[in-house]
Amino acid sequence: MTRSLVALVMALLLASGVARAAPQARVEFWTISLQPFFTGYIQGLINRYEHDHPGVAIRWIDVPAQAIDQKLLAAIAGGVSPDVVNLNTEGALRLAQAHALADLDAAVPPAARARYFPNIWGATRYLGRVYGIPWYVVPNVLAYNRALFRRAGLDPAHPPASEEAFIQAATAIKERTGVYGFMPNVDGIRFLRVFQEDGLPILSPDGHRAVFNGPDHVRVLARYVALFARDVFPRDTLQRGYLGATERYAAGQLAMLTTGPQFLLRVRTDSPDVYRDTAVAPYPLGRGRILDLPTMSLAVPLASRHRPEAVEFALFVTNDPNQLAFCHLVVIFPSTRGAAADPYFTRGGATPEERARVIAARELGSARDLTVAVPHSDDLFRVFREAVERAFFGRMTPQQALDWAVGEWNGKL
Amino acid sequence: MERQAVARSRRAPAIRRILTPYLFLLPALGLLAAFTFYPVALGTVLSLFEYNVIAPPRFAGLANFRALWSDRYFWIALENSVTYLAVVPVLQGCAILLALWVHRSARGLGWLRAAYYLPVVTSIVVVGMLWRWLYDDAGLVNYLLLQLRLLHGPVHWLSDPGIALYAVMFVTLWKGLGYYMVIYLAGLEAIPPTFAEAAAIDGAGPAQQLWRVTLPLLRPSILLATTLSAISALRVFEEVYVMTGGGPIYATYTMFYYMFDQAFGALHLGYAAAIGVVLAAVTIGLSVANFKLLREGGLAYY
Repeated sequence: MTRSLVALVMALLLASGVARAAPQARVEFWTISLQPFFTGYIQGLINRYEHDHPGVAIRWIDVPAQAIDQKLLAAIAGGVSPDVVNLNTEGALRLAQAHALADLDAAVPPAARARYFPNIWGATRYLGRVYGIPWYVVPNVLAYNRALFRRAGLDPAHPPASEEAFIQAATAIKERTGVYGFMPNVDGIRFLRVFQEDGLPILSPDGHRAVFNGPDHVRVLARYVALFARDVFPRDTLQRGYLGATERYAAGQLAMLTTGPQFLLRVRTDSPDVYRDTAVAPYPLGRGRILDLPTMSLAVPLASRHRPEAVEFALFVTNDPNQLAFCHLVVIFPSTRGAAADPYFTRGGATPEERARVIAARELGSARDLTVAVPHSDDLFRVFREAVERAFFGRMTPQQALDWAVGEWNGKL
Repeated sequence: MERQAVARSRRAPAIRRILTPYLFLLPALGLLAAFTFYPVALGTVLSLFEYNVIAPPRFAGLANFRALWSDRYFWIALENSVTYLAVVPVLQGCAILLALWVHRSARGLGWLRAAYYLPVVTSIVVVGMLWRWLYDDAGLVNYLLLQLRLLHGPVHWLSDPGIALYAVMFVTLWKGLGYYMVIYLAGLEAIPPTFAEAAAIDGAGPAQQLWRVTLPLLRPSILLATTLSAISALRVFEEVYVMTGGGPIYATYTMFYYMFDQAFGALHLGYAAAIGVVLAAVTIGLSVANFKLLREGGLAYY
């Protein structure tokens, strides 16, 4: 009796083992802040992939944006590295410098690579190698408060279309209403982007010398310093960055917000009144006519135990139909040519959002992520931040500040 | 046979007597060893290595410390941290006065003590955000000062490089007051009222009583509180992180903040460990000096 029972259990165990089929590759997939808004979309991708690849099981973990670097390091150090990780360009470059990521120029076959815009594929290029498969692109848009525009005597139907017009509108709004017009993205190291948007180089073509202290650079910095001194934008702009700007905008205390469209979701939940008065327009381009394309990439850590499966899954997540479906859910842009050629991105429309989408989509082939890739980036960026802040607080002239920073950079490049 | 058994039974309690206290200590010692002694030792050793979590550590000798010597941000952070120590005397003075007041006049008014203790148990992140609003150009602090006509325009409490550090220090003071007040209250409760009565009979006024009787008797509490307070001032981080992010122009960049940046921002864990070692050395030096200065006093002294 007992013996037959044991035999039965053994048989069941064996059968279940057989039924589970081939050895499973467990691919751990980390995303940044996609839950809960996009849980359904991502889970759908995973289900389809697992269905088509019976040997692979995907384990999805969503990590808050602020925690991803530390959690990833801890996982790698603990020997439980994820296999596919969603990183922004800055994070990917930092980990690439630490030799934590796999070279994807080598791992992805040329035919698959050709599906992406070459300029976007190169977002995470460091010392000639690429460390992330570009997923989606989130260019900044201009959100503005139509009620405040009207109060300042500006036409809400014609938001500023260039950096110049943007500054003038902000100045007028501050003068006429007392409410701040804008919080320019000049905190931390974001002035590096302002320079590039104005068509000014940061490094020499060979990348071995910093060149951001030319007369044009000085003029741009001096201009913003003068605006700061005249109180055209608030003091905490330099410290609070886009979070401070979003908060102020949601409180109705800021007329224009240049930010990733995902932050408008926060405005919508925090203050529906302000959101109702909000219109969206294309980002006002600088003199260089260059649109920054902040890119989200999928990286594969060197410590991954299933590198081929990981690369394959990352290519699946970023393929044309999957990107297109994602872009329909939220204002983001695809990194592949096929997805961007869809009428959704080429057909104009009546609403400012639709116009903004077409204008931004047109830039996908030529614009790029303006994150600066340099060795010792943390040291160099710390110096740059100090120089810019010294100029803003009048501790150095813009010329002195940029000369000093360039000197420090060249000592380390 | 019988004698042997007696001897054994006598020996057993002796062993047990020696062993028992250690067995009682064992759980705590084990936890301390795993979560304090081992990390401290490892961190100290790590300061001699180049380590970024991903690649195996590489021995670098004293290179990290030499780099610190010529690192401008290390000196900025050290200066700010040392400046931060100015919180300690002010905080302790205020806490003693508060304790005296609560002890004497408000005996039984538990809610008053609770009110002073409330900031201590409030999350530092909440406190930081609260004070960021209070310090805002259009915040309550500026509003009151402007209403009282003490200012012509708003003070940029957190965004003026000359003021930000002191503004953050004030928050540390505000938050710590209740904690140290409780330490001093306990110290005051331990002083028998006979001392004050005797001093009064001898003709000492309230100021003399405070200065010559109460404060000297409170010295052990002062020693404890100043040491704790100095340690936490040197390793201040959260207030700065929430309120200023180390800016403007690194005016609120402290040692702990720099250590955090180097470790988790730049992945220079060895270098961060070296900063930690220096910070520990400064802290230990300060605590030793504190003990030397304030050791005498207390009830045993009289």
